[in-house]
Formats: sequence, C-alpha cells, structure tokens
Amino acid sequence: MSRTSRRTWRLRRVLFLGALLALIADAILILYLDRVVTPQFEGRRWTLPAQVFAQPLELYAGLSLSAEALEGELERLQYVRTSDLTRPGTYRRRGVRFDIAARRAQFVDEAREAQTISVIAGAGGVTQLADMHGAELPIFRLDPLLIGSIFPIHGEDRIVVTPQEVPPLLPTALMVVEDRHFETHHGVDLEAILRAAWVNVRAGAIEQGGSTLTQQLVRSYFLDERQTLWRKIKEAVMAVILEARFEKSDLMNAYINEIYLGQDGERAIHGFGLASQFYFGKPLDELDLSEIALLVAIVRGPSYYDPRKHPERARARRDLVLKLLGDFGAVGEADARKALKQPLKVTSSVTAGYYPAYLDFVRRTLQRDYREEDLTEAGLKIFTTLDPRVQATAERALTDELKRLDQRYKKKEVLLEGAAVVTAPQSGDVVAIVGGRQTGLDGFNRALDAKRSIGSLAKPVVYLAALETGRYNAASLIDDAPIEVKLPGGKTWRPENFTHQANGLVPLTRALADSLNMATVRLGLDVGVPQVAKTFARLGLDQSPDPNPALILGALDLSPLEVAQLYNSLANGGFRTPLRAVRAVVSAEGKALKAFPLEITPVADSATVYQLNRMLTKVTQRGTGRAVYNRIAPDLIVAGKTGTSSDFRDSWFAGFTGNHLAVVWIGFDDNRPTGLTGSAGALTVWSNLMHRLDPISWDATLPESLTEVWIEYPTGLVAKPGCADDVVSIAVPRDSELPVKPGCGDGPLSDFADRTRQWLEGIIQR
Amino acid sequence: MMRSTLVLALVLAASACTLPNPYSSPVPPRPVPGGAPNLPPSQQPQTPVEPLPEPEPVPEPSPPPPAREYQLSSASRSLVNQAHNQMAAGDFGVAAGSIERALGIEPNNPLLWIELGRLRQAEGNYAQAENLGRKALSLATGDPRTQSTAWRLIAESLRARGRAPQAREAEARAEALTPR
Repeated sequence: MSRTSRRTWRLRRVLFLGALLALIADAILILYLDRVVTPQFEGRRWTLPAQVFAQPLELYAGLSLSAEALEGELERLQYVRTSDLTRPGTYRRRGVRFDIAARRAQFVDEAREAQTISVIAGAGGVTQLADMHGAELPIFRLDPLLIGSIFPIHGEDRIVVTPQEVPPLLPTALMVVEDRHFETHHGVDLEAILRAAWVNVRAGAIEQGGSTLTQQLVRSYFLDERQTLWRKIKEAVMAVILEARFEKSDLMNAYINEIYLGQDGERAIHGFGLASQFYFGKPLDELDLSEIALLVAIVRGPSYYDPRKHPERARARRDLVLKLLGDFGAVGEADARKALKQPLKVTSSVTAGYYPAYLDFVRRTLQRDYREEDLTEAGLKIFTTLDPRVQATAERALTDELKRLDQRYKKKEVLLEGAAVVTAPQSGDVVAIVGGRQTGLDGFNRALDAKRSIGSLAKPVVYLAALETGRYNAASLIDDAPIEVKLPGGKTWRPENFTHQANGLVPLTRALADSLNMATVRLGLDVGVPQVAKTFARLGLDQSPDPNPALILGALDLSPLEVAQLYNSLANGGFRTPLRAVRAVVSAEGKALKAFPLEITPVADSATVYQLNRMLTKVTQRGTGRAVYNRIAPDLIVAGKTGTSSDFRDSWFAGFTGNHLAVVWIGFDDNRPTGLTGSAGALTVWSNLMHRLDPISWDATLPESLTEVWIEYPTGLVAKPGCADDVVSIAVPRDSELPVKPGCGDGPLSDFADRTRQWLEGIIQR
Repeated sequence: MMRSTLVLALVLAASACTLPNPYSSPVPPRPVPGGAPNLPPSQQPQTPVEPLPEPEPVPEPSPPPPAREYQLSSASRSLVNQAHNQMAAGDFGVAAGSIERALGIEPNNPLLWIELGRLRQAEGNYAQAENLGRKALSLATGDPRTQSTAWRLIAESLRARGRAPQAREAEARAEALTPR
C-alpha cells in the first residue's frame, strides 16, 4: 500500500514536474516566438525588387501609327476592348476612333492619374488626339510596359499592392476556398484540420490541407518547407500569436503580398500583384472574375496548377473555385456561369514581355551607381529606352532566320546562335537587345559578351580615316591588286579578295561597296595603321585596338553592342553618344534619383561622315549588301556593311535607316565555321527586322561643303546617267577635282576625247 | 576585258592634256593652311582644340538652296514649353527629360538640339552646350536663321569657357548668317 502510494506519489510528482516544465517550456517558446514574430511582422517591409519599364508610347497628331498598330500596342499593354469604358485599362474602338481609359502611371517626371482620351488613327497615322471633353491634346503617353524586375539571384520577385489595389472579391475568394473560418478563428482551425484529416485518411493521400491563411502566411514568411511535427507546432503557435497581435485585415493584406504563386526560372513569383502581371500582364485591380479565380486556384500548388504547363488541370481547379464562389453566394450564379465559359486568358508565354538580355544590360548599367541591395530591395522604378515593338520584332527576325538556317545543318549537335542590338542613333538609346536564339532565357548574353571577329565591318572605319586625311574622296582611285605586307613577326601577309580576283584601279566607293580586301589594305596602309586604330577608338571603342595591319580587315574581336557603339557614331553624323538603356531611376515614392542624360561629343567631321555614309548606301545598292532589297522597299535608302570573318565563322551586318541602327551577328558559340557570308544570315535578319519597323530612308541633308556627282561605278570617272551604263551618285568636297569620263563632260573638249576614243576603238577592233 | 582596258588607257593618254589631271590617284593633297579652309570649324575633326590663328573669313555664301525654316511640331512645341516651365522652377533634369521626349519625336530638328543646348548652358555645362550647338548646326543646313542661332550658342559656350578667339569667330559666323 505504502509502496504503491509512494510510487503513485512519485509518479504524480514526476508528471507534475513534467507538466510544469512543459508549461514553462511552452511559455518560453511562446515568449520567444512572440519576440521573433511580432517585431518582424510589425516592421515588415518586403524587399522590393526594382521594377523596370520600357519607354512609353507617345501619342501625338502626326505619329505614323495605323489603327491596327495602335490596337497592337494596347493589346501589348493588356488593355481590354469593351463597349462601356468603365475602368482604366480598357478601350473602345469604332473604326479608326479609339477611346482609351488610360491607367494611372508613374513616369520619370510625374505620376499621372487615370485619364480617358480619344485618338483617331487613320491610314496616314494619328490625325487627332483629344481629352474626354474633346479638347485637343498635343501629346499623350500611354503607361510604360513593365518589362521585368531586378530580383536577387534565386530570389523572390514581387509587386506589393495596397488594400485599395486589391479587388474585394480576392480576399472573399481566398476565404471561401482556403479558409472559411478566417474571420472568426484564432489562427488555427481545428474543425478544418479534422475535416482535412478525415478526407485524407479516406483518400489515402493528402488531398486537403487544414491550414488557415494565417498558418500559410507564417509558413511562407517565417519557416522553411520541411514538413516536421516540430515545425507544425511552431507554425500553429506563431499563427496564434499573429492573430492575437494583429488585425485580420493586416493579415489578409500580408497574405496577398507574401504568398508564392509561380516560378520563372530562378525568379520566384510572390504576391498577387506580381502574379497578375506574370499571368495576365496587367494590374491586379483590372482582373475579372475568371482571372481572380485562376489565381486563387494556383495558390494550392503553383507548379501543379501552372496554367501554362498544365492548362487543363488549372482550368478544372479554377472552375471548382468558381463553383465554390457561386455556392457560397460570393458571386451571382449568372456571373459564375459566365466566368466558367471563359478560357484561361493567360499571356501566351512565360517570357512574353520579359527580356533577360536587355535587363542584363540595365543591371550592368546600374551596377556602376547602385549596390545590389538597392536594386533588389528598395523598390526603385527604372525607366529604360526599350521599345517593346522593336524588341519583339528583333527577336522574331533573329529566331526565324536561325530556324530557317537550322535546315542547312544536318548535324544538330550544336545550334547556330545569334545576337542583335538596335539603337535610335541620334539619342544613343538602345531600343532592343537580343542575346541569343532562346530570347526568354537568362543565359549567355551574346549581344554583350560574345566578342567576335568583326571582319569587313572594320572597313568603314578605314575609309573614314582615309577621307579624313583630305587626300581621298569617294571617287579617288585605289589599286585593287595583290599586295604583300610584312608583319611584325617577320611573316608576310597576302590578303586576297573574296572572289580571288583583282580589279585594278577602282574608286573608293566601289572598293567599299564590293568589300575589296586588297584595295582596302592598300588604302589602310597608306593612311597608316595607327591612324586607323585611333579612328576606331575615337568612334567609340573604350581603347585603341592593336595597330596590327590585319586590323584593316577586321582582325578585332568586338561584341555586337560595341559594334553598335562604333556604327552609331556614323549613323549619328559623326557625333558620339554613349549607348544607354537607362533613362532615369525613380524612388519607390516617385522621386527622381538619377538621370542618364543625353550627351554628345563630336568625334568626326560631319561632312566627312556624310561622305562615308553615302558610300555605305552603295554597299546596299550596288555591293555586297544588295540582298537587303530582297526584303525592303526598292526606294528605301539604307546604309550598311556586311561582315564575314575568316572561314565564315561569323556572319555580321551593321547598318541604319533614317530611324534605326541595327547590328546583327550570327555564328556558333564554339567558333566553328558557319559557311555563311555576311550577306546570308545576318543580312537577312537585318532586312527582315528593318522591313517590319516602318523604316524611313536615310536622308541626311547634304552638307554645304559637299557636292553631289555621278561617277561611273567601275572606273570612278564623272559621268551622267545618260552617258554611261553603270553610274552611282556620290558626295565629294566641293573643291574636288574629278576626272570626267570622255563624252560625259560638257563642252567641245570632251567631245574631242569622245571622238578620240571612238577612233581608237575603231583601230583596235580591226 | 584586256581590250577595253587598253582602249581606256589609250583614251586616257589621248585626253590627258584636255582634262584636269585625270588620273591622279589618289587626289593629291591640297595645301592646307591653318586647317581645312573650306570647312567651317563645326565640321573640322574634333581633335583637341588648338587656338586658331585668326578668325577665318566666312566662306562666301554658296548659292543658297531654297532656304528652309525649321519649325517645331505642335507636340514638340508643347514639350518645349513644358521644359521652359520646368527650367523656370529650377528643375533642369526634368526639363531635359521633356526636351529628350521631343527629340524622340523629331530627332533631326536642329531647334530641339538648340533647346537642349540652351538648357545645358543655363545649367553651366558649357562643353555639352557647345557640342549640342554643333549637332544642331550639322542638321541646320539650308536654314540660315537656325544656323545663326546654333553659332550663337556655340559662341556663348566658348566664351563661357574662356575661349575668346574662337568665340569671336563663331560670333562672326552667327552674325554673317543672321537674316537681314
């Protein structure tokens, strides 16, 4: 008896002590968790990756933009066509008249409120622009397209929304689907847990989760993904603490901004604000019922219910969500039925509107001025010069041509690659960058990092250096004959023409147009290799290249972006302007922090550059670049140059119209020969690209110090179109003395020469 | 091929005395006293500027092609007005942004480059002001009034940087081009 009672007492004591200890431990745990959770949640401030925007579309009377193109731009911005224009982000079209309910938008210089405008876009472009009262507007910009964000590597990307930006239906739907007792429970919902357990036991698998929204929030915010009992306990305790400390509305808003909703490579999509952009390309408050239902459906398993990868699963669950909403009276039966008929409506691909190669350039630009944390955490808004239409066109032109070329290569162990850079020459704005054939993948950025031999793209620099000496003009003759060059190493270099033929004396304009190597080497040596090297540096290279004679024929490795910088100085009439992708950085509060202003430096006499550019138009009209006219209109004047490196390892084309400069490169990453000349792969991409960009002719005004003359293309003799078969027009300094083709000049003397020629021909023919 | 080359050579020989030095290839260097005399300084290679000897004579006005007069489109005009207001408020960065928007619409309009140059001048960035003036000048061919304005901007920018002789020369060009 006493033994048993003592034992019982002892057991009681142990139990009591154990319980006491457990209580103390619990209390300590709760206190500890409270101290961890509460301040962290109170001071919660999501790290906000910088948001990156394209340049906005400027609308004004006179803009060359057809009704179809305008509608295309509105669709790119995910404006919805309606008949009633009830809310921002919608438009109404009647023929050529558009009424647009433009969204509220942040620009570099202002935050503009939502506003309705009307535009008339006829065949000749925009003819009228007015506000909603009919008053004429001189200019109006649409909201800039969000093209991405700068998130930490392997990190969370999100756009935080305020409760005002959340459609009221979203929290309701979340409660109906995920947590029906959210309004009343204290963090944990025992009934839900039991129900879930029962369902799961019956099904023999995890079919339902019993977690409240608060628990899900805690899990995402404070804990890792391991499913242990200890973690479950912690989660429950933390949920209870949060419920005790904070309002329901705070918790709901936190949930909406915190929860994980998708994955894009290394980019984790967090919060409904970003998910709305990621899946639908528009702000959260513009989503309709079916779209909200889809996002709520995705919460349960962003990868399992990925609407792009598994549309049928996603749709089934969305429909389930819609039914639940109808059953619980959250939406009207009719609305639910209507929404059930809607397709998923997600934007076509993960990568639509997301440009990693361009973002890479933006990030590098900003790294000079900002710490990584500033970019990934401080909620900056970055305004870039990207033109989404040009970017999309460039991507398509490059990938189409690469796919076409794939057919030529039977062995496909390595795929042909390519890159493109497009600028607006006068401002140096980089409007598009394509870094490879997989345009949506964040990978090797060839536009910036593939340094490849530029081959004949070097020639215009040589010719510019020659013109600058004042000893040459576009009609000067140069001997295209075999030449030997002693190299510093003691070797002898014997450059040859592509055709392995010599052409004798040819005018400079032809030597450049036909890309004659022997003539160009002779010219470059006469000008002096160091002078050529200096001209490269002046036009835009960071440093002067090695003054090796082979530089004349392009023994120089440059990235497409560097080539664009060089050629931009030509397209910009001899003015160098640093290529820029970022126009300005604005703080989360809308304050301008940093601008990258337009800066220009004259680096070459503009008349000399004009003379060279006229020669470059002959490359496309007469020379190695003729094939551009397979695509572009015959009356469009463009300047450009083909480039091929030795053994056809690189195919280049660099050239400009009146509004854009584009540089295109195609080759293999491992530098094996492609068999393509500059006029095949890269040229085709270039001309397809330009063709689709509504190009205008390169038509710079003739400088006063120059005059236009016709010369015979093969010989360089001054000749009029009537008196010789093969003439081209060039520009030369006014005081140039040019030899005239016999019979083509004015006056008796040339008649005499003409007669002499006929007489001589007569002798020889006999 | 051979034959026609021969023909050509003979023709050349025959006509050599009648034509001005036909096959001097390349064109022989011209005497270049004090720079390229026929190029206005705006168009001289921008090697580090050495003090020029004397204000050069203004080149005789070449037979004026049908004079043109650049104007701003109404969109540009409204942006430039906006920029002026922003400048008046001391907000140069934002004002420059407005002019750049206009340049996006009319990149070849020299008046806008002059506007941007004026802004840089007001900001005290005289090197850019001069460069922008030269850019405007390169686009203003055929429009004496705009050329004159561009030269004036260049002159003022040069003077502000203590380059009096070049400033005087630019001023003289502006003066010569001023429509009377």
